[in-house]
Amino acid sequence: MSSSIILPPGQMPVAPGTNPDAGFFDDLNSEVGDKGFLVTSTEDLFNWARTGSLWWMTFGLACCAVEMIHVNMPRYDMERFGAAPRASPRQSDVMIVAGTLCNKMAPALRRVYDQMSNPKYVISMGSCANGGGYYHYSYSVVRGCDRIVPVDIYVPGCPPTAEALLYGVMQLQRKIRRVGTIER
Amino acid sequence: MAHPAPLIAPRATLAAELKTLLGADLLAHVFTVDEDSITVDRDAIAGVMVALRDNLEYQQMMEIAGVDYPDRPERFEVVYHLLSVTKNHRLRVRVSTDEATPVPTIVPVWPNAGWLEREVFDMYGVLFAGNPDLRRILTDYGFQGHPQRKDFPLTGYTELRYSEEDKRVVYEPVKLAQDFRNFDFMSPWEGADYVLPGDEKAGGTGEAPGKGAPTPMTAAEVKKADEAKAPPPPTPKTTESTTQTGAGAKANIKAAKTSRDGASAKTATKAAKTPATAKAEKAPTKPRAPRKPKAGGDA
Amino acid sequence: MTDSPNVHHYGGDLFEGYPVDTADTAGDQAVTNYTINFGPQHPAAHGVLRLVLELDGEIIERVDPHVGLLHRGTEKLIEYKTYLQALPYFDRLDYCSPLGMEHSYVLAIEKLLDLEVPDRAQYLRVLFAELTRICNHMLNIGSHVMDVGAMTPNLWVFELREDCLNFFERASGARMHSAWFRPGGVHQDVPERLLYDIGEWCEKRLPKLFGDAMSLVIDNRIFKQRNVDIATVSKEDALAWGFSGPMIRGSGIAWDLRKSQPYDAYAKMDFEIPVGTRGDCYDRFMVRVQEVYQSARIILQCINEMPSGPIASLDRKVVPPKRGEMKQSMESLIHHFKLYTEGFHVPAGEVYVATESPKGEFGVYLVSDGSNKPYRCKIRPTAFSHLQAMDMMSKGHMLADTTAIIGAIDVVFGECDR
Repeated sequence: MSSSIILPPGQMPVAPGTNPDAGFFDDLNSEVGDKGFLVTSTEDLFNWARTGSLWWMTFGLACCAVEMIHVNMPRYDMERFGAAPRASPRQSDVMIVAGTLCNKMAPALRRVYDQMSNPKYVISMGSCANGGGYYHYSYSVVRGCDRIVPVDIYVPGCPPTAEALLYGVMQLQRKIRRVGTIER
Repeated sequence: MAHPAPLIAPRATLAAELKTLLGADLLAHVFTVDEDSITVDRDAIAGVMVALRDNLEYQQMMEIAGVDYPDRPERFEVVYHLLSVTKNHRLRVRVSTDEATPVPTIVPVWPNAGWLEREVFDMYGVLFAGNPDLRRILTDYGFQGHPQRKDFPLTGYTELRYSEEDKRVVYEPVKLAQDFRNFDFMSPWEGADYVLPGDEKAGGTGEAPGKGAPTPMTAAEVKKADEAKAPPPPTPKTTESTTQTGAGAKANIKAAKTSRDGASAKTATKAAKTPATAKAEKAPTKPRAPRKPKAGGDA
Repeated sequence: MTDSPNVHHYGGDLFEGYPVDTADTAGDQAVTNYTINFGPQHPAAHGVLRLVLELDGEIIERVDPHVGLLHRGTEKLIEYKTYLQALPYFDRLDYCSPLGMEHSYVLAIEKLLDLEVPDRAQYLRVLFAELTRICNHMLNIGSHVMDVGAMTPNLWVFELREDCLNFFERASGARMHSAWFRPGGVHQDVPERLLYDIGEWCEKRLPKLFGDAMSLVIDNRIFKQRNVDIATVSKEDALAWGFSGPMIRGSGIAWDLRKSQPYDAYAKMDFEIPVGTRGDCYDRFMVRVQEVYQSARIILQCINEMPSGPIASLDRKVVPPKRGEMKQSMESLIHHFKLYTEGFHVPAGEVYVATESPKGEFGVYLVSDGSNKPYRCKIRPTAFSHLQAMDMMSKGHMLADTTAIIGAIDVVFGECDR
């Protein structure tokens, strides 16, 4: 083990320059460091709060649900990004559609989506949810969950690895920071 | 018996026992691929099942499968798979039926037949007389048709979409961005009934130029197209036994000899000297029945 | 409370002179049965199960499970694909134990082809089938204990499951859907180091971590109260309802296809079949726990006895040649091309091949008409029979027991609905 692998405390384990939104965090840091307080707009404050607690609705349908569970388990631990699983749509901000959406299930998916409170986001996880995938030509499969609900982030893979879903969630946080408004 | 599939010892006296037990209800008994299967009279199925369970110790009914043979007068087969945990044996029982004739239920014999019969009904439209709860089970609420029938298109007839105007999920006729690609694996020089793009001038059957391999058609269309065209391809490209595929014990030995992996120590010494895999494989062993040697050959 | 005279006496004295509400108390009213919907989106439903429950108070009178919410038309799609193209559908049936599903399918094809499979391939298949069993039981055990209220064991056993997925990734390149068993053998050989690592994992990490996790639940009073004597199934019922796997063994019938109808290299393995005594949810759970140790035992035997040799049949009419071979020989190139376009033809006939998947008997009824595509491929799911018995099993139990019963069935909907 060379000493270069062990990071100083507080530093993120990513190469310099690859940290998404590095500028955003640097500005934040320096402002707090300079002045000891922070001036921001309500909109930014809201977006910050939203990105920090993306409680997600567990819509595990098929194979991808297993990877969705894995991302919550100790090795990947999605909760360190503030994304915690919720069983009730009323409490959740983002729905992860994990798996093949079948005709029989589609009305239920829409019902759950309608029950979520605004602002709400949808991550479509896996080929089946993205566009039918391996089951595209089946008589009983919805060819993409975007036919039923609007989708923000598509995570490719069959199934996407846990890392891929984690990256998808981080992309969603980024999207919220970029385009989020108070009313959505 | 070289395959590694589950080993089931045959019951020596099964044929005789079945004959005495079932009598006229037993229509046929065959033993193929190490498996016993019997065909029985449709109307007697419930009684046959009781007899098999109580007299021949088939305690479990594991599976009911439907199969569709559209060419037969009674197009559906209902196949029951029985398991004996005491005799360690499996038995396949089949009856045949058509769209209108119901099969007597066997729910009183095995309660788990309930859902399995529902599934066959859902998938094939086979009716089961006496089933207490013959609803659809797997397909969508309000589904039309029976999807496993051979004339039901793979992609079905309807698809779903959320309609912003109606604020609900609506059903619409299927519209595919790209058709399912169903390839025809008939070799072009073995009597394909269409002209490949670019081959129009070579004196084909004189169809419209540029027409490629047929895209998926419905069963009715295929039938119509087949009828329109005189004569059908001479031999359907099917394989009836292992001798025709070349697979099996003989080919294993032959292939093991000519392998160039050298992975297996035993075969490696033998194979080491033969420089050409080709040489051994070129030697014709058995001409594959339906093909011309030039076309099929080793490919 | 009407049977206790004291209540009436005191009630009469205390409230004398006050206006007394003469309406019935709650216990006097006749409560009519009511129906609730459980699912299809429910965290304890293990997927997309919808149960229509008829309740008398909190006691279940009738259960009507609605399945098919994940019906993807797999069997229909398989009829439109070649034998090899259809293989990955099996991964996606029971997505908790992908290789167990593939096993039945490849054995069915091999039986129809009467194809010999080299020893090393058989051992590798057994090894990975057992690793799959551990992987599946980790998920089931973890979620079962979580459904009845324990959190910690789930976190620990998922760490083990994560290890299993890493092993699959190292063998096949995919964490879950390996498509690694192929007709004739397996797709690729494993690195030697992987076998070593699996062996070490089975000897050290698995027993320790799994033992720790299980020590928290198996003698736990709360866990026992939630599971013991819940959904008791007698031997007769288990046979009549077509149970298999841990469900039938939980009821005390020592029936395991790996022993009774051995396939691949199972005949050479030395292992035991755990059975339950009472046939309740706790027994089913404990059967799975013990099976994990037995699986580890089989894995270690496989690794110790692993023969060398080819990892797939050398019959080039079924198994494609290696890439290196293709660059040397024209025949190999042609074989490769033909196998990956047209695929191989399977002789006409029909077989029913069932293997002991982690959940029970997983069967494939394969009808071939001699072409390169299956004429009919009926999949015998394990959960279908088990779930059907929900009504029988949960009658008279409390609503909260439903989750324990579902957890002990080990139902996965990819397989149940197909």
